[in-house]
Amino acid sequence: MLKRILLSTAATAAALALGFLIFAWRSAIAEVSPVAVAEFSPEEIEAGELVARAGYCATCHTVAGHAAYAGGYPMDTGFGIVHSTNITPDPDTGIGSWSLEAFRRSMHEGVARDGSHLFPAFPYDHFTLTSDADIDVLYAYLMTLDPQPEPEFANTVPFPLNIRLLQAGWKLLFFDEGRYQPDPAQSDIWNRGAYLAEGLTHCAACHTPRNILGARIASQAYDGALVEDWVAPALTRANMAPADWTEDALYTYLRDGANATHGVALGTMGPVIHEGLMALPDTDIHALAIYFADIAGTSGVTANSAAVAAALDVSAIGLVEQQNADARLYNAACSSCHSNTSGVLLTARPELALNSTLWMDDPTNFLRVVLHGVSLQAGDPGLIMPGFAGRLSDDDIVRLSNYLRETRTDRPPWADLAARIEELHGDRATGQ
Amino acid sequence: MTTFRLNGQEVTVRAAPDTPLMWVIRDELGLTGTKFGCGIGLCGACTLHVAGRSTRSCITPVGDVAGGEVTTIEGLDPEGQHPLQLAWIAHQVPQCGYCQSGQIMKAATLLKDYPAPTDADITAVMAGNLCRCMTYLRIRAAIKTAAAAMAERAENG
Amino acid sequence: MGNPLRRSLSLTRRGFLIAAAGSGVAFGFTRAGLAQGAGPSGMFEPTIWYDIDTDGIITVNIIRAEMGQHVGTGIARIVAEELHADWDMVRIRHVDSDPKWGLMITGGSWSIWQSYAPMSRAGAAGRMALIEAGAALLGADPEDAVAEAGQVTAGGASVSYGEIVAQGDLHRSFTPEELEEMPIKPVDERRLIGQPVAALDIPEKTDGSSIYGIDAVAEGMVFARPKLPPTRMGSVVVSIDDSDAATVPGYIRSIALDDPSDTVPGWVMVIAETFTAAERATDLLRVEWTAGETANTSEQDILDRGAELIADASEGSTVVDDDGLSDAFANAANELTRTYTTASAMHFALEPVNALAFEADGMFEIHTGNQWQSLILPILAVALDRPEESIVMRTYRLGGGFGRRLNGDYAVPAALTAKAIGGPVKMVLTRVDDMRFDSFRSPTVQTVRMAFDGEGQITAMDHAAAAGWPTGVLLPSFLSEGLNGEPFDGFAISGADHWYTVGAHRVRALSNDLANKAFVPGWLRSVGPGWTNWAVESFMDEAAHAQGADPVAFRLGLLDAAGRNSGTAPDSIGGALRQAAVLERTAELGGWGREMAPDHGLGISTTFGQEREMPTWTACLAEVHVDRTTGVVRVVKLTIVSDAGTVVDPDSSTAQVEGAALWGLSLALYEGAHFVSGEIAETNLNTYTPLRMGDVPEMEIAFIDNGHVPCGLGEPGTTVIAPAIGNAIFAATGARLRHLPMRPADVLAALAARD
Ligand code: FES
Ligand code: FES
Repeated sequence: MLKRILLSTAATAAALALGFLIFAWRSAIAEVSPVAVAEFSPEEIEAGELVARAGYCATCHTVAGHAAYAGGYPMDTGFGIVHSTNITPDPDTGIGSWSLEAFRRSMHEGVARDGSHLFPAFPYDHFTLTSDADIDVLYAYLMTLDPQPEPEFANTVPFPLNIRLLQAGWKLLFFDEGRYQPDPAQSDIWNRGAYLAEGLTHCAACHTPRNILGARIASQAYDGALVEDWVAPALTRANMAPADWTEDALYTYLRDGANATHGVALGTMGPVIHEGLMALPDTDIHALAIYFADIAGTSGVTANSAAVAAALDVSAIGLVEQQNADARLYNAACSSCHSNTSGVLLTARPELALNSTLWMDDPTNFLRVVLHGVSLQAGDPGLIMPGFAGRLSDDDIVRLSNYLRETRTDRPPWADLAARIEELHGDRATGQ
Repeated sequence: MTTFRLNGQEVTVRAAPDTPLMWVIRDELGLTGTKFGCGIGLCGACTLHVAGRSTRSCITPVGDVAGGEVTTIEGLDPEGQHPLQLAWIAHQVPQCGYCQSGQIMKAATLLKDYPAPTDADITAVMAGNLCRCMTYLRIRAAIKTAAAAMAERAENG
Repeated sequence: MGNPLRRSLSLTRRGFLIAAAGSGVAFGFTRAGLAQGAGPSGMFEPTIWYDIDTDGIITVNIIRAEMGQHVGTGIARIVAEELHADWDMVRIRHVDSDPKWGLMITGGSWSIWQSYAPMSRAGAAGRMALIEAGAALLGADPEDAVAEAGQVTAGGASVSYGEIVAQGDLHRSFTPEELEEMPIKPVDERRLIGQPVAALDIPEKTDGSSIYGIDAVAEGMVFARPKLPPTRMGSVVVSIDDSDAATVPGYIRSIALDDPSDTVPGWVMVIAETFTAAERATDLLRVEWTAGETANTSEQDILDRGAELIADASEGSTVVDDDGLSDAFANAANELTRTYTTASAMHFALEPVNALAFEADGMFEIHTGNQWQSLILPILAVALDRPEESIVMRTYRLGGGFGRRLNGDYAVPAALTAKAIGGPVKMVLTRVDDMRFDSFRSPTVQTVRMAFDGEGQITAMDHAAAAGWPTGVLLPSFLSEGLNGEPFDGFAISGADHWYTVGAHRVRALSNDLANKAFVPGWLRSVGPGWTNWAVESFMDEAAHAQGADPVAFRLGLLDAAGRNSGTAPDSIGGALRQAAVLERTAELGGWGREMAPDHGLGISTTFGQEREMPTWTACLAEVHVDRTTGVVRVVKLTIVSDAGTVVDPDSSTAQVEGAALWGLSLALYEGAHFVSGEIAETNLNTYTPLRMGDVPEMEIAFIDNGHVPCGLGEPGTTVIAPAIGNAIFAATGARLRHLPMRPADVLAALAARD
């Protein structure tokens, strides 16, 4: 009896393992010699570039100091560092020997040409929604780039997580393959926004919290998450910003990288805009704005005048004959670029009383900007902000943060600022 | 090596990217109108423009302005005849003068944001610029004069 | 009481002029030396104070440091006035340290006052010579020729000063007696003095071209930043570990300074190719010291020591000591005693101290901004172990002086480092270094007592003041001798010897030995009067209120110009009556006695500026609002009236009063440091918070211009502000503040402590 049970258990296990292997096994797709540039029309290549921008592929497939799309960008997955791959048509280290079929399979199924499973740091769980037509032109664009060798980096994902086959298990649990299906109840433009946001532009990849295995928690879609030590804020009603994310606000933010009633795109969001969305036509940006206004529950909201008026009311407090030491620190350090005194909000003078970072429960983004500033390349084009790390003391930054949080918001004080500041001191390099 | 434009001319500097822009401009490029006061971004003496807006160069790493356009007091107006400079002379603003490059550069941003500034605008924007000689009354008056002159120029121009 | 430094200064100047004239200098000397006649350069130098070239450009040599007072313009105006120059042809030249200039010092608001007579005479002598030479060229009798706006005119024909210099044969000399007798123009004949003028140094301060000490460069220079020891004096280097510092690219080396002058004991200099490298390497350098004996001294220790000294009647130097004081107190019907204190106050000149030093052609050159070359040159000679004549100080614009750069101590470490490495070194202090190395204003303690008889008449006043003494530490030979034979620092007591008639008056100056050991006390804008008047004028207010008298009427009653308060010609002609006049004018202008809104109050104060010998009569009316819940004091308006005799340049005089008064306001409410564990705790603007634009109240400034000798204006405005504000707070709320600065917490405490 016991033996039978054991045997049948073993048989079940073996069957399951076999089943898994059948599920997991992907054959290699034959190498092809690099496709000649002439095979693609200029229109295809141009359209493909827009697709690449919509997915801001270069951001993750480029490492500072090396050629664009040649890979090597380090991503801390929480399980180790994964370096992105070379997607230039270099036949040895890039995708020069990939057929269109192999490329489609990688985008739709997360499987490399040689049949190995890709780490989900490559967001194929989003790209699977992308149409064949878009992938085909993207292929045209990538295959016509100059081939570049891949910079060498060793991935640090530890055993056994580094066994590629195991990635298939992850897929089994968390991945649904299939193209985007329009919602007939919504307008075309909404559907266009959803197609981009959920697919190519993969917004949820950063803005949705992940479970212990690194998969998005479906029930908390767009509730915000910490990514590479930046807060990707909630895009739902859970967003703390005092002004609504109206369709207009979303549009200017995504179009210009800055919005007067919320702030500037920075950190990991900076390149999404500067290296990605900047290239898209206005209609696509409108589509994204419409889609996210719907998610945020602000569709139909058109004005933020009350929030702006409230912010202008407090913008310049403490400026006149103030003996409060913290107010004086603010006056000396911040006021000259941030106060708004004329009853009109100036985009070039980012208003802290409206700035999302000051209202978040997590002070990370606020502190990172205060500590490390914003370079000319990041943030609002043409605006630079020097960082105060190593200049003001940590204690000064605590004072400043508390003063602003207290006088410019109605949120409770941040806890443990000093400890967080200390952690963030080394973060200058990332995303700035 | 960092390359940027300084007062309209392309320059490439040896200094490491984390070197404060102020020292690069003063010591490596030899333009000393930009002054060192506090070194921690609280006095404004080192104020200059990057992409046409003011920043404090003592805490701005030179690497952060790569590819950008930097303007110092020496480049605000080729002849030193910017309406702010003329107003500064008319009101006899400077005492020791040490803070005044920064004051003028900051005031230029002020007038960009507020072409007809109120007292509150001036107080708020100039709050970060310390004048140890306490020439504040004259700075305020000169800013208003310059604003009026620029408005007139815009009207007639 | 007399300020010995100022006295000796006047003598030096006089001696110099005599010497120069006596050795045949006066006229026709070339720039190159003392030879007769126009030299090869064609220059004509009526005295060494200015020259005229063949184009008629008049260049006036300025020995004073330019730090915002436009001193060159003021002095050039005085010369040009008597020279009858065309103002457009006048230039200024700030000169290097050279023995021929005599004592070089800029401070004490003395520049204009001291320069007035000699510079007027230098101008007048030039005019006479030019008229004579010009008349000769025109073939006219000098008696018939006049000079006007740079031209000599006779019989309808004119010749310019430039032409005279080019063609004329200028030989003329004046004896010292002739110079002394040369009349200075009466007020109504002046053409330039008193008229508005565009200061000559201003355009260069608007376009970045003005060159300050920190801008100085020398071929091949390296940069240095000090690693400062834990105590200002007495620290000794035990070991230096530069293993981390050496990882900074551009780091060269670190040197412990060997300083025979003991100016910078325990200093280690970090040398690098760039300033940024020096700055970073200094942070990484590890130095172990044995600290000096004041390593644990605190602000409170210094104040306690001051109080202790005051309490011992046998201590100190008596500066004023009238008969009958003890009797008056013994027989007093009433007595009022109050103690006032002030916190450490920092210079915070916006340009941190710095110096470039190198040796070239046998001369040791120091390039920096400095207010008192004559004080530091002998110290440099000791430090460098070379004759003073082989050291020259080249003075640049000062990014703020305020007395900090009277003490040229910062030149010493730069010079020692240049000597040690045998090449040019530019030393720049960071702001933190500058603050830690400041010779700041000492914490002070003062106790004032007054005796009243049965009728409420004042019969005696006793004032004791304890502080670190700048002159005591830096230049002991310049201490004055008190009536009891003990030395005192005139800078640290001036102001207590006021012009009020108060019966038997005693002033006792006490040197706070603990302060003198713990740091180098410095002169800070308005020096002693900046804090002695805090006591005198707060006390006068308290006394008036104690007597139920109106504070203005009470003071006017005491400013009766009786006895020694009657003044002396020419400097203090009119005496206390002139102080009474500014007080009355201020009260009238500011609306003394008018109805006040709740929690608003008016406070008055009056001083004589810097010194009895050079009084600039000043008064201030402050209107304040006090927030009783937060303790925040808002100054609504300051009304200030000054009588500085002749106003040479009205606009820059107003500027000086504005600046000085706002300094006073800053020191009253916003500034104030703490000495903690042997060091100043506030080392940058994150904790030391001088006045900013939003803190500036409405201001009304007026002068009583009466044509008397011009007196200084750089400082007196500072002296009246704090007591006027303190008195206004009392008027608004009944809370009396006796410590500077007046912080909101102090206001709340005083509110709670009322009766
Ligand atoms: S020196 Fe840059 S703000 Fe003070
Ligand atoms: S003029 Fe001297 S600091 Fe402003």
